[in-house]
Amino acid sequence: MTGWNEKILDVDLTTQTYKTYPLDMEMARLFIGGRGLGARLLWDLVGPEVDPLSPENVLIFTNGPLTATGYQTSNRFSVTTKSPLTGTVLDANSGGFWGMQFKKAGYDVMIVRGKAEKPVWIEIKNDVITFHDASDLWGMRVFALTEKLGQNNNKRNVLCIGPAGENLSRIASIMNDRERALARGGPGAVMGSKNLKAIVVEGKDRTQIDDPERFKFLLYETRKLLAASPLTSQALPEFGTVVLMNIMNNIGALATRNHQQTQFEGAEAISGEELTEKYLVKNSSCWACPIGCTRISKTEKVEGEGPEFESTWAFGAQCGIDDLPAIIEANSLCNDLGLDTISAGSTIACGMELSEKGYMDADLRFGRADQLAPVLEAMAYRRDIGSDLADGSLRLATKYGHPELSMSAKGMEMPAYDPRGMQGQGLLYATSNRGGCHMRGNMVGPEVLGLPKLIDRFQVQGKSSFVILHQNVSAAIDSLVVCKFTNMGVADEYFARVLSSVTGIHYDTGEMTRVGERVWNLERLYNLREGFSMKDDTLPPRLLNEAPADGPSQGWVVQLEPMLKEYYRGRVWDENGIPKKQKLEELGLASLI
Amino acid sequence: MVDPRIYEMFRDIGRDLFTSNMISSHGGNLSVRLGDRVVIKRRGAMLGNLKPHDLIETRLDKNDSGVALASTELLVHRTVYMSTPALAICHCHPRTAIAFSLSRDELVPIDNEASYLLKKIPVVTEEFASGTPEMAKKVANALKNYKIIMLRGHGSFATGQTLDEAFHWSSTLEESCQIELATKLINEPFIEYRKMSESYNKF
Repeated sequence: MTGWNEKILDVDLTTQTYKTYPLDMEMARLFIGGRGLGARLLWDLVGPEVDPLSPENVLIFTNGPLTATGYQTSNRFSVTTKSPLTGTVLDANSGGFWGMQFKKAGYDVMIVRGKAEKPVWIEIKNDVITFHDASDLWGMRVFALTEKLGQNNNKRNVLCIGPAGENLSRIASIMNDRERALARGGPGAVMGSKNLKAIVVEGKDRTQIDDPERFKFLLYETRKLLAASPLTSQALPEFGTVVLMNIMNNIGALATRNHQQTQFEGAEAISGEELTEKYLVKNSSCWACPIGCTRISKTEKVEGEGPEFESTWAFGAQCGIDDLPAIIEANSLCNDLGLDTISAGSTIACGMELSEKGYMDADLRFGRADQLAPVLEAMAYRRDIGSDLADGSLRLATKYGHPELSMSAKGMEMPAYDPRGMQGQGLLYATSNRGGCHMRGNMVGPEVLGLPKLIDRFQVQGKSSFVILHQNVSAAIDSLVVCKFTNMGVADEYFARVLSSVTGIHYDTGEMTRVGERVWNLERLYNLREGFSMKDDTLPPRLLNEAPADGPSQGWVVQLEPMLKEYYRGRVWDENGIPKKQKLEELGLASLI
Repeated sequence: MVDPRIYEMFRDIGRDLFTSNMISSHGGNLSVRLGDRVVIKRRGAMLGNLKPHDLIETRLDKNDSGVALASTELLVHRTVYMSTPALAICHCHPRTAIAFSLSRDELVPIDNEASYLLKKIPVVTEEFASGTPEMAKKVANALKNYKIIMLRGHGSFATGQTLDEAFHWSSTLEESCQIELATKLINEPFIEYRKMSESYNKF
């Protein structure tokens, strides 16, 4: 069958052996690849008895049938595991070049099990898999290690962890291609717990396409659509994702100082316009991407990729800091240490509020840009106050007796969009299977950017339909795997057609979205099996009870309860948030329970 | 009680459909999906002059008392919602597009806007073109692959996430057909300006 390699690489670090075997193609048809395939495999491999940081947890690296085809943004890949931050199913995906190279190496999936006795790194050259001693690499930071292991964007690609992963920070990322990240939920800690420092891939295979002529036509049409969209052809290339800073601030939905306000007086100073004018060297792209949202920024101290909007917000508005060079440097430091910028920034902000209110004996203060770098270093190495912050804001706030000050959902720190100004975003956070996340559905599209058309951001009735649709589409896109930014210029129907042309299997838009629904319900089942319940589908009390005193979202809190009831009904789940049998049968999941 | 914001959407799009000659006084209908519910125009109500009580909320998956009041084409709308990811449906009677549907099995636009947005619009045939199960099935099947389709001699069904979006596809189709009609009146050789347009009919 075209599109897939039909092959799984299964690595056991305990014995330092590996095997390969065929991918179940019926499973591939139902779950496609990426996040979907990862979730399906995790269901079988990791049960509720497994501690996320034990050898029994696994890392499942997946690509998809579109990966490495040359379709726009077909560079992405996923890692699936049980999250050490949240205890939920976790999928994190990343761009760059590594995913494309991994596909070219001849595999759809790599499962990593067990724990090496001492640090190792793995080298994959198609069928030749080599385990190397990494004792001399342990302790190295990401940038130096990536270079040492021979990163060459189109030929040899390095994925690794930094000190944060080695020290089992529950907000540690896995880095690839130097500055791309499988960021959220702590997959770097899982890799560190296995004594696995890096995975290097070189591949030479080509992905086969079922209908090259149709694929070529869709490639051409996609290019036209991306070129015609002001978002993908102007806003993102010119300003990067930070273009959202002023937009979110202007509508009163920019979380500020640990969500104590919804507008930041320093937003202009950390905006996309400011970044472009003063610190941008050039923009850059992942493999096969015509958008080029990546920033190459430079300050007196650093030059490199980023920062993204979320990172700029996390170290900026969320910490009350308007010093853009300090934010760029904090972002770069996180990449080098292997820390998730969103969780790191929001955890520091939580620490700042705990400290300012006298709940924690520390000198953290909102607005103190000089504190960012030393605190991040301390977090990655678990030194001093950093040892408390290294495991995220919920554990930090709980330790100091005020869990309500953690701005997280299911234990994962929420990103920049304050849901009091975007009701749908609130429901999205509360129901996200991996916790407070903006990449598990895109309500910024319809509620702010007018994609595909603008809807009232304060509307409550009917909002769940949009959230469900966007969650399903998001899960489908994550299973292809392509970049969600393409969806800003290209409608879902194109993805279904491209998938059909590559695989030879007919997927209409509805069937592709149904794959996403299947993935979403499977993830829900996984979390239920782990002991999560409807009580976890919630938000911090601040967002439910404390309305902004001023600004465009003045007087609004998240109207979660009515939206959640409607959401459960719309998903065909019972009143406790458990998928009904009829829905599981319809999705082909009934046999799993 | 339907949220006033939702009513305003129906009222505005309904009025625009009427004023742009896309429907007759009592023709066409609109609906949105709210989770496991559908909000649809009341049977016999005038889209161009909707009142709040003209919106009927009923279940998606089975009948309730709302079906006594809802549009005769409720079944089509329900079937489309059950078969596709659509959250809104716009059904109207675009006159030029209907005229072309009487002689073609598919409409392939020649103007830039519709080429860009729609690529191809299939034409579906059903003799009893008003809310029958056969019609519902044919329309829903076609809408699995296309965001707007024509029912031969009757009108268009368009889907979207919002009424706004579904109306967009509907008005784009009619505009495209009017342009093509104008080119036929001008009757001069067509100059192809689109690369790979030969693939549009395979979309």
